[in-house]
Amino acid sequence: MNTDLFLLSDLLAELALRQLPCGGWAALALSSQPALEATCFSTLAVGLAAPPSYVAQAQEFLLRTQNPNGSWPAFQGDEQDGAWVTSLAVTALRDVVPAIPARLKAFHWLLECAGRESSWFWKWKFRTADRHVRLDPDKFGWPWIPGTLSWIVPTAFSILALNQLPCTCGGFEKMPFRVERGIEMLLDRACPGGGWNAGNGVVYGVAVPPHPDDTAIALLALTGRKQEPLVQSGLQYLVKTAPTLTAPWSLAWAILALAAYGQGIDSLYKSLVALPDLTKTDDTGTIALACLALDYQRTLSALGVTA
Amino acid sequence: MNLTRRDFLIGSAGLAAGTCVSAPFLLPKYHVDRRSKRSRVAVLHAEQYSQKLDQILAAGLRLFPIDVRGKRVVLKPNLVDYAPGDAINTHPLLVLAAAESFRRMGAKSVVVAEGPGNQRDTQLVLSQSGYRQSLREEKTRFVDLNRDQLIRTRLRASYTGMTHLWLPRTVLEADFLVSMPKIKTHHWSGATLSMKNMFGVVPGARYGWPKNILHWKGIQESILDICATVPVHFVIADGIVAMEGNGPLNGTPRHLGKVVLADDPVAADATCARLMGFEPDRIAHLQEGSRFLGNAAASEIDQLGASPDAPSRVFDLVPEFRGIVGM
Repeated sequence: MNTDLFLLSDLLAELALRQLPCGGWAALALSSQPALEATCFSTLAVGLAAPPSYVAQAQEFLLRTQNPNGSWPAFQGDEQDGAWVTSLAVTALRDVVPAIPARLKAFHWLLECAGRESSWFWKWKFRTADRHVRLDPDKFGWPWIPGTLSWIVPTAFSILALNQLPCTCGGFEKMPFRVERGIEMLLDRACPGGGWNAGNGVVYGVAVPPHPDDTAIALLALTGRKQEPLVQSGLQYLVKTAPTLTAPWSLAWAILALAAYGQGIDSLYKSLVALPDLTKTDDTGTIALACLALDYQRTLSALGVTA
Repeated sequence: MNLTRRDFLIGSAGLAAGTCVSAPFLLPKYHVDRRSKRSRVAVLHAEQYSQKLDQILAAGLRLFPIDVRGKRVVLKPNLVDYAPGDAINTHPLLVLAAAESFRRMGAKSVVVAEGPGNQRDTQLVLSQSGYRQSLREEKTRFVDLNRDQLIRTRLRASYTGMTHLWLPRTVLEADFLVSMPKIKTHHWSGATLSMKNMFGVVPGARYGWPKNILHWKGIQESILDICATVPVHFVIADGIVAMEGNGPLNGTPRHLGKVVLADDPVAADATCARLMGFEPDRIAHLQEGSRFLGNAAASEIDQLGASPDAPSRVFDLVPEFRGIVGM
C-alpha cells in the first residue's frame, strides 16, 4: 500500500504550525505547555519527512528537558522524579548520535524503575490481603510514575525502548531479566476474552473488557511472542474490533499493531484517511500518531518492531 | 500542693512533648471550611432520557438563587469508559441540557471537561457514549482534562499526605464548576457521586490511567484533598438510570428516575446516598467531608423538590461495603 502523501503532508504541516518556539509540542491545540508524550510522537512523525533543522529543534528540546536522574518529566516544568514518557523519549532520540549519553542514562533509569508490586511487602499484600484484582505480583513491569503499580502501556513502551539496547554489557546486565518480567506481566494482565486494557483483566471476579489502543501497544511489545495463545487472542480481538473504530488514536494504533503482525490493514488505512477534520483534532499526539500510522513501515522500524 | 520550680519545668516539658506528639492527630487536616449554614438540594423526577430533560432541568435550576451571568461555567460529567447497555457514564442528554440551561442563564462560556480514568482514547469514549455527535451539534466545546495545561496546585487539605497536585487549568480557572456524576456504587469507596467524580480532574498524562497514585494514597483521603482544593459550586447528578452492584464499571443498571441538584457537594452526595438506601455517615469521605466541605445532616439541608425517600429496595453493593446500608 502506498502512503497517502496528501494527508500525511497536511498533518505534518499542522504539526509544524503547532510546534512551540521551544521545539516541543503541547498536548492540546490551545495549550502552550510542552508535553512529552505529544512531543515524542511528533518528533517521530516529523522525522518521517521534515527537513533536518526542523527535527533537530525537537530533538534539542528533548535533550534539554531530560531530568538529572536520566528520566524525562511528563511535561516541561514537572517535578524531576521521572515519568512513563522516558521510554518514548528514548525511542524518539533513537538515531541521534549526540543523544547517546542521554539515552544510556535513560536506559539505566528504566532498569531501576519498577512497579511497586516488585517489592516483597507488596507481593505479600497482593497474595494475601488485597486479592480483588487478579494479578500475579511476581510478574511486574513499569509504572506510569514511580511509586505505583505496573500498568500495560508504560510496560509495553519500556520493553520496546529496552529492546533497542545493542548489548547487555556495561551496567545493562539486568535488561534481559526486566524485559522478560515485563513480557510475563503483560501476559498475566491480559483480559480473559483476549486483548488488554489499562491493566485490570479481572476485578472482583468479573472480566473487564479490553481497549483497542492498549491492546495494540501491548501487541507491539510482544512481537517476539507471536505464537503465545494470549498474544493470538489479543490479535483476534484487535482484528475484530479495529474495523469498528472511528476514533483516530485507536485506529492508528490498530494499524501499527496489525501491520506488525502481517495482518491486512488496507481497509483500516482507508478508514483513517477518510476521517473528517483530522487536522483539526484538538489532541496533537493524535495527529502525530496518525502520521506514524500513515507511514507505518518506517514507524515500525523506528519502534524496533519487525513485521 | 507545693509546686517547685523543678516540678514546673518538668511538667511544662512533658506537656510540650505531649502536644508535639499528639498535635498531628488532633489538628484538623483541612485548611478551609466551606460549609454554609444551610444547603439546598432538589430531587427532580425524570423517568427517562429525553428532550424533556431541558425543561425539567431548567425548572429545577430556577429553584436555586444561581447567578452565572458573565461566568465561565465548566461541566464535569462522569465519563469513564464505555460498555454497551451499561450505566457507566453521565448521559449526554443531561449534560447538553445543563449546557443549554447555563447558556440561557447568561453564562459567558460553557465547557464540558473530563479526564476519563480508564481509557486513554478520550475521543473513542466520547464517540461511543454519544457525546461526540451531541457536542458537535450543540457547538459545545470539550476539554480533555487528561491532557490539559497543568498548574501546580497546593492542596487545601492533608488527608493523603501529598502537598500538591498538578491540576488542569480549565478547572482551576472555572468561575462555576458543576460536578455531574452518575449515581453509582463503587467497589472501593462504597458510592461514587459528585465528590468522587472529581477524580476526573486529575490528569492522566501526569498521573497515569488509571490515576493510580490516588488509590495508593487512599481513595477516601484523595476525594477529600481534591474536593478541598477544587471547589464544586453546583451538582447535577444523573440518577435516571443509576448503577448498583460492582460499580463503577461492572455493576448493573438500576432505574431510579431522579436527577439531584444541589449547591453543596456533600449535601448532594448525602441525598443521593439516601436515595440509594445508604447511611451517609457510614461513607467515610462523606462523614469527614461534612466537617468542612458541606452539610450531610438532613436537618441542615433544605429540600426544594421531592423528598429523598429511601428506595423500595436498597442498592446492591459488593460485600465489603454492605455496612453502609442505612435500613
